[in-house]
Amino acid sequence: MIKLNELNTLPVPTFRWLRVNELAIDDEIDFEARPYGKDFLQMAPQGELIQRQMPYNGLTDRPIMKDLMDSAGFGVSEDLVGFADTFHNSGMYIEIPRGIKVTEPIMVGYKPDSDNPTVIDNNLIIAHEHSEVTIVMDIASSANASAVHNGVTRVVAKEGAMVTVIKIQRMNDSSFHFDSNLALVGSGARVDYIVAELGSKKAAVNYTCRLSEGAQSHINTIYLGNGDRHLDLSFLMEHQGRRSTSSIEARGALRDMASKTFKGTIDFKKGADKSEGSESEHVLLFDRTVKSISVPLLLCSEDDVKGQHAISSGKVDQDKLFYLMSRGFSRGEAMVLLAEASFSDVIDKIYPKSLEDLIRAEISGRLLHGN
Amino acid sequence: MVELERQDNYIDDINRELYDIRDEFSYSYKADKGLTPEIIREISGKKNEPKWMLDFRLKSLQIYNELDVPPWSPDISDLDIDNIVTYVKPKTDMKISWDDIPDEIKDTFVRLGIPQAEHESLAGVGAQYDSEVVYHSVRQYLLDQGVIYTDMESAVRDYGDIIKKHFMTCVPPRDHKFAALHGAVWSGGSFVYVPKGVKVDIPLQSYFRSNAPGAGQFEHTLIIVDEGAFLHFIEGCSAPKYSVNNLHAGCVELFVREGARLRYSTIENWSKNMYNLNTKRCIVEKNGSIEWISGSFGSRVSMLYPMSVLKGEGASSEFTGVTFAGNGQYLDTGAKVIHGAPYTTSTINAKSIAKDGGVAVYRGIVKIAPRAHHTKSTISCDSLMMDNNSRSDTIPVLDIRNDEVDIGHEAKIGRISDEAIFYLMTRGLSESDARAMIVRGFVEPIAKELPLEYAVEMNNLIRLELEGSIG
Repeated sequence: MIKLNELNTLPVPTFRWLRVNELAIDDEIDFEARPYGKDFLQMAPQGELIQRQMPYNGLTDRPIMKDLMDSAGFGVSEDLVGFADTFHNSGMYIEIPRGIKVTEPIMVGYKPDSDNPTVIDNNLIIAHEHSEVTIVMDIASSANASAVHNGVTRVVAKEGAMVTVIKIQRMNDSSFHFDSNLALVGSGARVDYIVAELGSKKAAVNYTCRLSEGAQSHINTIYLGNGDRHLDLSFLMEHQGRRSTSSIEARGALRDMASKTFKGTIDFKKGADKSEGSESEHVLLFDRTVKSISVPLLLCSEDDVKGQHAISSGKVDQDKLFYLMSRGFSRGEAMVLLAEASFSDVIDKIYPKSLEDLIRAEISGRLLHGN
Repeated sequence: MVELERQDNYIDDINRELYDIRDEFSYSYKADKGLTPEIIREISGKKNEPKWMLDFRLKSLQIYNELDVPPWSPDISDLDIDNIVTYVKPKTDMKISWDDIPDEIKDTFVRLGIPQAEHESLAGVGAQYDSEVVYHSVRQYLLDQGVIYTDMESAVRDYGDIIKKHFMTCVPPRDHKFAALHGAVWSGGSFVYVPKGVKVDIPLQSYFRSNAPGAGQFEHTLIIVDEGAFLHFIEGCSAPKYSVNNLHAGCVELFVREGARLRYSTIENWSKNMYNLNTKRCIVEKNGSIEWISGSFGSRVSMLYPMSVLKGEGASSEFTGVTFAGNGQYLDTGAKVIHGAPYTTSTINAKSIAKDGGVAVYRGIVKIAPRAHHTKSTISCDSLMMDNNSRSDTIPVLDIRNDEVDIGHEAKIGRISDEAIFYLMTRGLSESDARAMIVRGFVEPIAKELPLEYAVEMNNLIRLELEGSIG
């Protein structure tokens, strides 16, 4: 039995009555570990790299696994990470040799349906010294399926490596989505995440980045809430080495009765002097009934650092909306235009362009026809 | 540009000598250590309280025993409630004339500058020594206008109905464990009532001084500012240092009626073995406003988050706070605002300095209820780290439940920038003057909100001492 009452716990707890210290989900979720019988590797670039399906017994024989096992304490919950480690039915093992720059992205896509409703993917990406790679992971779901996704993705970027992970979630409103991510960013390495959380009934995602000396990590995320959906987003930047740099930038839009909790933490550990971290969130609120909770934490044990965060939330500018409507757009269409304008910086980073169209379709579908 | 050699800033510990003077400990009555219904009956009996207050105390004790210490709180395991003497009555009854107060108590307050301040710039003064108020005075022309300023014990006797109606309704004992403790053992404090339309033009002041070793101070402050009235209330706190840990679990309940305005200033400078678990809250009615000015300097552990409940349309709240955590201190402070009505506004401006292994935490919440449309809130948190042995955390929560809002939040953390120092030095300042100027500038927003003598006190508290020079 997987416990779902302590998800995305806050790195440091605060007042209990606010109910932000952890997320509890009381829905009945079918976590049975059945096989996922569909292909998911959609685009595999040619060249000198290893890209294969994660073996069912995991990778306990690989020496690198020891480092990873030592770096526990990440993810939506220990239970969910453990479940994906043990019972995964899909996922990729990717290894880029030293100095190799993979120019084409590796694309992985899941679309669970009523025959294959469960995706439990376990991914490990190892980028050796000075290599480069981009991985795109897209998860959708067939219209009639009540799908469950529970994923774990670990990224190990060795010295000077560059890894970009693009994650897109556009599951339907009867599906559940849990995604745990860990990046160990070596010295001078860089791991960037571009995250679009657009769908599912309830979603809880967690990104933890551990930064060594001179490492960089940037998270750009867009999220969308409509109907009575709930999103719980947790991002944690742990600055362990000196001169490390991080940023978390979130853009969101909420309408109807949607609710979201955004937890962004920049944690300057002892020894992380001369590091810089910044965090920002901007939310567009379209309806009186939305619920928007933000918990931007700055934790600091070093004096010679620069940390900052800025959050703004507000009603969509009525003048803008009115102007657009005076030009013949419906309220829904005007919302789509405003959301796309706010999201454009992030959408522009998404690659390949075919995905951009899918994202735009998801945004307009949800904002135009939301209930 | 050549990088300046890294230089740690050194700010000397607050000079506490003045506050650490202990007076010989003498008392007329002292409750046994520990907390039992018998002790509570005894305290209540000594105070000749009405039955409702005794019942209230006993109920609070029951709640206290039911509640746990919040899991997020700083470590307070050193605090042994059973060892804290809850009620200490000094060897004097309340005096109207300063000359009637016993010399050793008077000397303490003279050293702290209380009577002097009264003559110079205050409309009234209350001084509490251990658990009881020893001195209260208020200027005649305010009494003539119907202003009430008295100690809580007298208020329970003389204004029973008003007290019964308001006492611990703003901060109910069930709020948290130490609010329940307060409800059970409260003693001393002030009651202020400002009638409709009366503007108290110079501040009222209460000064709390804890002298007995191992004692708890649980003063209750209840202020009602009626429609259209104005009051500035100043609260000062100190205690000498004993080897036994002391506890301060006071409670401040403020009621700001329609169109009224209250400014509540505090400088807390408890000794470094004090556990300061204080609860302050204000309910603001239509178009009323509350202004909090809060300086937290002393104590070993502080948990202090003044809360504004904006209950009426157009109500507003402004919080300005400075927290200075030095060696051995864990100061967990912040502000809470509940926007419960439309067109309400709030501003939070919190600054903290951590040095010498001190821990400064900003913890806050701004909550906007579904019906509170057209609300505005601005939150700004600045933390200054003086060295890398210290710790500084910012833990704010924004909880927004409607769309007609305008919320801005920003926070910054870091040290004094080398560029700023370098710039000032190019303008002819020495390095130490430049650092001093920057730290003074950092706390300036608080200092300028305080009455002059308190601003001077704060400047004395933050005495700058800078080491070394640029190589």
